[in-house]
Amino acid sequence: MLSAVASDEETGKNRNRVVIVGLVWLVATILGEIAAVAITWEPFGNSREARISDEAFDLLVYMSVPVMVFVLVMMAYVVIVDRDRGENVDGAPVRTNSMFIGGWMVISTALALVAIVTPGFSGLDELAAEPDADLIIDVKGERWNWTYTYPDSGVETQGTLMIPVDTRILFRITSTDVIHSFWIPAFRIKQDAVPGLVTETMVTAEEVGQFSEFDELRVQCAELCGVGHARMWTGVEVVSEAEFEAWIGASQ
Amino acid sequence: MAVVGGVVGGAIGYVLGAAGIMAIRAAVGARAWEVESVTAGAWLVAVSGWLLGVGAWKYWVSPWFGRPERTYATHGWRRYFDFDTDHKVIGIQYLVTFLVMFFMAGLFAMFMRWELMRTGEDVVNADQYNAIMSLHGTMMVFVAVAATVGAFGNYVVPIMIGADDMAFPKLNALSYWLVPPVLVALTVSFAFGGYDTGWTGYAPLSVQSDVGGLFYNLAFFTLGLSSIIGGLNIIVTVVTMRAKGMTWGRLPIFVWSIFITAMMSLIFTQFVALAMLMVILDRTAGMVFFDPASGGEPLLYQHIFWFYSHPAVYIMILPAFGITLEMISHFSRKPLFAYKWAVGALLGIMGLSSVVWAHHMFTSGMAESLRKPFLASTELISIPTGVIFLSALGTLWLGKIKFTVPMLFALGVLFNFLIGGITGVFLADVPVDIQLQDTYFVVAHFHYVILGGGIFGLFGGIYYWFPKMTGKMMNSGLGKLHFWAIMLGFNVTFLPMFVIGLQGMNRRIADYTPDLEPGNKMVSMGAFFLGSSFLIFIYNFIYSWARGETAPANPWGARTLEWQIPSPPPHENFEVPPIILADPYGYGEADSLHADMGIGTLEEAKDSERV
Repeated sequence: MLSAVASDEETGKNRNRVVIVGLVWLVATILGEIAAVAITWEPFGNSREARISDEAFDLLVYMSVPVMVFVLVMMAYVVIVDRDRGENVDGAPVRTNSMFIGGWMVISTALALVAIVTPGFSGLDELAAEPDADLIIDVKGERWNWTYTYPDSGVETQGTLMIPVDTRILFRITSTDVIHSFWIPAFRIKQDAVPGLVTETMVTAEEVGQFSEFDELRVQCAELCGVGHARMWTGVEVVSEAEFEAWIGASQ
Repeated sequence: MAVVGGVVGGAIGYVLGAAGIMAIRAAVGARAWEVESVTAGAWLVAVSGWLLGVGAWKYWVSPWFGRPERTYATHGWRRYFDFDTDHKVIGIQYLVTFLVMFFMAGLFAMFMRWELMRTGEDVVNADQYNAIMSLHGTMMVFVAVAATVGAFGNYVVPIMIGADDMAFPKLNALSYWLVPPVLVALTVSFAFGGYDTGWTGYAPLSVQSDVGGLFYNLAFFTLGLSSIIGGLNIIVTVVTMRAKGMTWGRLPIFVWSIFITAMMSLIFTQFVALAMLMVILDRTAGMVFFDPASGGEPLLYQHIFWFYSHPAVYIMILPAFGITLEMISHFSRKPLFAYKWAVGALLGIMGLSSVVWAHHMFTSGMAESLRKPFLASTELISIPTGVIFLSALGTLWLGKIKFTVPMLFALGVLFNFLIGGITGVFLADVPVDIQLQDTYFVVAHFHYVILGGGIFGLFGGIYYWFPKMTGKMMNSGLGKLHFWAIMLGFNVTFLPMFVIGLQGMNRRIADYTPDLEPGNKMVSMGAFFLGSSFLIFIYNFIYSWARGETAPANPWGARTLEWQIPSPPPHENFEVPPIILADPYGYGEADSLHADMGIGTLEEAKDSERV
C-alpha cells in the first residue's frame, strides 16, 4: 500500500520534470529557430550552385536547433536540479526506460535518414541537373599559379579569371606537379586539381561583380601545395556577355 | 641507465644499418651515400638497436638464450626509465611522454596563432609556418591516438578487469619504448627544416618534400607499429585475463571502449603504415606508386590513408566516451543508463568507421557516383553516436550529481562533442561540404571533436585516476580553475573558427585576405588564453605529485575494482583474485555488490564499499 502511494508520487514528480524540460525545450527551440532564420550564415554568394549549397546549409541549421537545444536543456536541467546537495545518497536506480530509448532511436534514425540523407541526395541531384556547358575553361594549377585557357578562342591568362554572367561554364581542371584545389568561395564550387587527371566542375554565375568588391570572388588554392600555397589565388571578374566577348577579342 | 644504453644501441644500429644499405647501393652500382635511402634503411636497424639497448636485450633476449633472468627494481623513479614490464609503470610512462608531446605541439599552436593574428608574414615566414603547422598536427594526432589508450588502457584496464598485469608484459614494454624514437624522428625532422605536408602527408607533395618529410613517414610508421602491438595486447588481455565472474555484460564501459579502440588499432593501423611505406619507397627506391607520369595514382594515397585515418578519429574519441560515461555514472551515483545500448553503439561506431573514409575526398576527383553512398554511411554514424548521449543523459537524469573536477570534464566532453558532432553532419552533406572542405570550418569541427572531446576526456581521466596512480590528490580548486579556463579558452578559440571558415578562410595558410583579420584576432586571443590555462594544470600536476595530500583508496566512492585496492596499488594489484558478482553500476540498488575482494567477509566488503 505504502509503496504504491510513494510510487504514484514519484511518477507524478517525474511527469512534472518531463513537462518542465519539454516546455523549456519548446520555448528555446522557437527562439533558436528565430535566431537561425534572422542570421545570414553564408558569405556573399553569386551562382546557381551557391543557392543550392546555401539552402542545404540553412536546412541543416534549422534541423540542428531542436536537437542541440534538447541536449543543452537536458544538461542544464540535471545540472541545476539533480545536483547532490550534501545528502550523500545514491540516485534513483533507473537502468532503462523503453519509452525514452525507443523514442530516441526512432527520432534519431528518422532524422538521419529522412531529414539529412534525403535532402543531401536531392541537393546532389540538383547540382548535377544541368550538365550541358555553354563555355569551357581549362584550368591548370602549377606551383603557385593558376593558368586559365579558353579553348574556343585559344586565349590563355594567368591574371584575373574572366567569366560571363548567366552562362553555364564547365571547368576542366588539372595540375602539373602536386595536388591543388580550385575553389571560388562566392560560387561554392571546389574541385581538386590532380596531376595526371582531368577533374570537372560546373557553375553558372548570376550577377556581375569582381574581387575588388567581394573578397569571395577569387580563385583560391584549397589544398596544401607547399610554401606558396597561401598566396596561390587570383581575382575573379563576372562580366556581361558582351563585355566578355570584347575581352576575348582584345586578348586574342 | 637504460635510456643511455638505448641511445648507444640506436647509434650502433644506425651505423650498421647505414653500412648495410650503402654496401647494397654500391653493389647495384649506385652512389653509396644518399641521405634518404640510407636513413630509411638504417632506421629499422637503429630502432631495433634502441630497443635492445634500452632493455629488451637485458630482460628478454639474453634470458631466452639461457642467461639468468634479471629482476626489476620495484620502486623509485629509475624504473620509469627502464624496460619495466609492470603495466602501472608503463601507463605512467605513456602518460608523461604524451603530455610532453602535447605541450610541445601546443607551443607550436601558439606560434601559429601569433603569425595569424595579422595579415602578412610577420612572425615566421610561409615555409616556417608550414613546418610548424605540420608538426603541430602530427604530434597532436599522435597524442590523441595513443595517449589515453597508452596511459589508462595500460594502467586502469587490467585492474578494472581484476588482472595482475597485461597478457604480454614484455610486448607491452616494447610498444611503449617504440614511442621515444617517434618523438626523436619528429624532432630531427624539425632540425632538417621540417616538412610542409600537414599531418596528412598527401602524395605527391610528400614524395617531393625535403628530407624532413622522410622522418614524418618513419615516425608515423613507427607509431603505427606501437599501436598495432599495443592493440593486440589489450585485446588478448581483455579476452583472457578477466577475473572470475567478470562476464562481458559486467565489463565497465571504459574497458569496453578501450577494447573496441584496440580492435580498431589492430585492424586499421596497418593501412596507414602501408601508405607511409609506399611513400618511403617512392622517395628512396624509385618506386612510382603515386607518380602519374609513370603510371602511378595520387588518389590511391588518399584512399589508403583515410581507410585508417577516419577510423583513427574513433580511436581518438571512443576512449573519451568510455571515460565520460564511466565518470557520469559514478558521479551521478546512478547505474549507467542503457548500458547494453551504449556497448552496441561503440561496436556500431567501429563497424561504420570502416565504410566512411571517402567523405574526406568529396572534392578530390574521385568518381561522383561515390558521393551518395559515402554521404549516407557518414550520416548513419550519427545514430550510434547519439546513443552515447542517450546513455549519458539518461544516467544524469534523477542523479545525485557531484561536481568533482573529473565530472566537470565529463560534462565538458558532452558539450563540446555536441557541437563537434552536429557540425560533422554539415560536413557530410556534400552540397555543403564542397564549399566547406579544407576551410577553417573543418579545422573548428575536428578540434571540437578531438580537443573538445578526446583531449578533454584525457584530462578528465588524469584528474580522475591521478590519486590512484600517484597516491596523491590533485588540488581540486586549481583543477576547477583549470577546467573553467580551458572551457572558456577553447570555445572562444574554436567557435569563431566556424565563422571565419564560412567566410572563406581555407586551412593551412600562413596568410589570408584582409577581410578575415578581425575573426583571426579573436581566435588568436582565445588561443593564447587557452594555452596559458595549461600552466595551471602543469603546476597542479607537478606540485600535487610531489607534495599533494595523500589519497585514500577510494576518494570518489566509485565502485569499479581499481578503487577497491590501495592508492597506488601494490605490484600484484590484488592480494587475492577478486570474484565479480555484478556490474559496477549498482548505485541505489539494495545489496548490490560489484565484487568480493576476498578480504574479510562478504558483509565487511559490502560495508567497505558504501564509503
